[in-house]
Amino acid sequence: METKISPRYTDMITRSLKRRHRKETCLRFFGLTSILFGLAFLVILLGNIANNGLSALLQTYVELEVTVPDSALLDAEGKVSEEVAFDTNWDGLVKKGLRAKFPDASGMRERRALDQLVSANAGFDFKTRILHNPELLNQPLTVWFKTSDEVDQYVKGNMNVSVDESQRRLSDQQLAWIDELAASGLLERRFNTSFFTQADSREPESAGILGAAMGSAMAILVMLVLTLPLAVMSAIYLEYFAKPGRVTDFIEVNINNLAAVPSIVFGLLGLAVFLNFFQMPRSAPLVGGMVLSLMTLPTIIIASRAAIRAVPSSIRDAALGLGASNMQAALDHVLPMAMPGVLTGTIIGVAQALGESAPLLMIGMVAFIVDVPTTVTDPATVMPVQIFIWSNSAERAFYEKASLAILFLVLFLIVMNLTAVLLRRHFERHH
Amino acid sequence: MEKYPNKMTVCDVSVHYGDKRALGGVSLDIPENQIIALIGASGCGKSTFLRCLNRMNDEISGCRVAGEILLDEQNIYAQNVDPVLMRARVGMVFQKPNPFPKSIFDNIAFGPRIHEITQSEAELKDIVHSALERVGMIDEVKNRLGDSAIGLSSGQQQRICIARAVAIAPEGVLMDEPCSALDPIATAKIEGLIEALAADYTIVIVTHSMQQAARISQRSAFFHLGELIEVDGTSKIFTSPNDPRTENYITGRFG
Repeated sequence: METKISPRYTDMITRSLKRRHRKETCLRFFGLTSILFGLAFLVILLGNIANNGLSALLQTYVELEVTVPDSALLDAEGKVSEEVAFDTNWDGLVKKGLRAKFPDASGMRERRALDQLVSANAGFDFKTRILHNPELLNQPLTVWFKTSDEVDQYVKGNMNVSVDESQRRLSDQQLAWIDELAASGLLERRFNTSFFTQADSREPESAGILGAAMGSAMAILVMLVLTLPLAVMSAIYLEYFAKPGRVTDFIEVNINNLAAVPSIVFGLLGLAVFLNFFQMPRSAPLVGGMVLSLMTLPTIIIASRAAIRAVPSSIRDAALGLGASNMQAALDHVLPMAMPGVLTGTIIGVAQALGESAPLLMIGMVAFIVDVPTTVTDPATVMPVQIFIWSNSAERAFYEKASLAILFLVLFLIVMNLTAVLLRRHFERHH
Repeated sequence: MEKYPNKMTVCDVSVHYGDKRALGGVSLDIPENQIIALIGASGCGKSTFLRCLNRMNDEISGCRVAGEILLDEQNIYAQNVDPVLMRARVGMVFQKPNPFPKSIFDNIAFGPRIHEITQSEAELKDIVHSALERVGMIDEVKNRLGDSAIGLSSGQQQRICIARAVAIAPEGVLMDEPCSALDPIATAKIEGLIEALAADYTIVIVTHSMQQAARISQRSAFFHLGELIEVDGTSKIFTSPNDPRTENYITGRFG
């Protein structure tokens, strides 16, 4: 009898297997499709941003001949004097060099139009350079000056010149001059180092990301220093010391709720408590870091608790069985084993904080700041806010800068995540 | 039995987990430098009882212990007694080998380090070496004390755990089915080790193996459904138990 039954079952199983395999293939196909879909969007997004932003790595320069007289830098005794340099009309020197190329330009309007071709900061940059190299005085110099952002955009092909003259930022006359300069090889696109060495500026050609990057780095550092110990200690306390009961439940529910509070609310809290009540400095990365730490604390506590709970209880039993106190068991054995999980939570927190702008607007980190911050109490802005400010500006060149800043932010994130992943590997290897 | 004074005396101990009674009215004497085996079916309360003996149950939320347990005439559940000290005086070895994910040396040195027993690193080394000698492992591992204990076989891991427990020279060692996760050869080694340790330590062992209880213990206690049914010399328990339930369990008719 048994021999009769078994082939029948085999048939049924074979049939059902076919169906199951089909389902599995289907599922695998859907999974793969969604991953490809996501990847495609990522590529399109990054590609688009890179396409817009990478051109900001280059800046158009114009070559002019300038001679700086002794009187521009030296005082009556023939020493280099910053005060004399301050009084000198450096912009005038640069403009003189430009007018020398186009002696035909005459009249107030035409000359002003010609002056607009070089960067408004060209004189300032030139002064800094000569101050550091006084041996260049009193001799004909061939200097590369930054052009204004409009010239830069035109040379890069980002300006629509087919529209009527009144609709664009460069006149026909100016375009003719630029073409003439280009034809005689006096225009050149060079690597825009100042983007990585300067802070924000009114002139797109002088604006850089370093100020915002430093602001972000300081705020994140403050956030980590405050959050990590607080979160880990809270997690250990809640897991190992808190007596189960109403109070503990209440705390737990509230931590979970806090993780879901919109970030701008934390900004308002920071404004009310840190700025208005404690009178802390406005726009400072210190306060920014504190606000971000309030925001990420719940996330990291939740992740740390999960990591601590995932450590086998036998390890804690072993330590307690040897007469270790609760704290010794937690710090010597459980925490090192939970560290990879804690770090994963921290990575998520840092990534969240790094991309956050709303709470920082509330505490004034949205200001226009031209100096790179050197301490955590200096006024600063952060990268997402800088991107926001630039993309709000009218000049086309700022749009390009914003795209490059986004790429830089993504790079910043990747570097930070990589560090955390390496740290986690390190901990995993040792435990 | 007179030549062995009682190391621990248990008087009318009951344990509740929340509202559920896990153990009721257990009274038992644990003689010094002897091995007492706790036997009984799963869930009969013998592990719970074992964990009462060094207050490991304190760590389980909702667990309440009533009654008295005397260690050298002192009630270990008295108000002024620090459970951490109790656990240092009465060590514990668990069912599953649970070495710390650290080096062999650090595993054994952990106890002496936290209790600040040693003055110098040389002294600590001595303690680690003698603990390893005690469990007969010194030749196996003396050249790789820095290796992770996780890389050892489970039998070796369990012996490291025993060495770790004896490194702080406790008065008693509690063992919760120390061989149930091991193969017969490792089991034989550990059994030999336990018998040798009895010269210096009072040992309480929970086991599911009748043969193991018969082989190594001087006294046996049979637990059934949260109660202590019978405690006597091991040979007496295994040959002519007083209670029919004990006989049923031992002969394999239930449990």
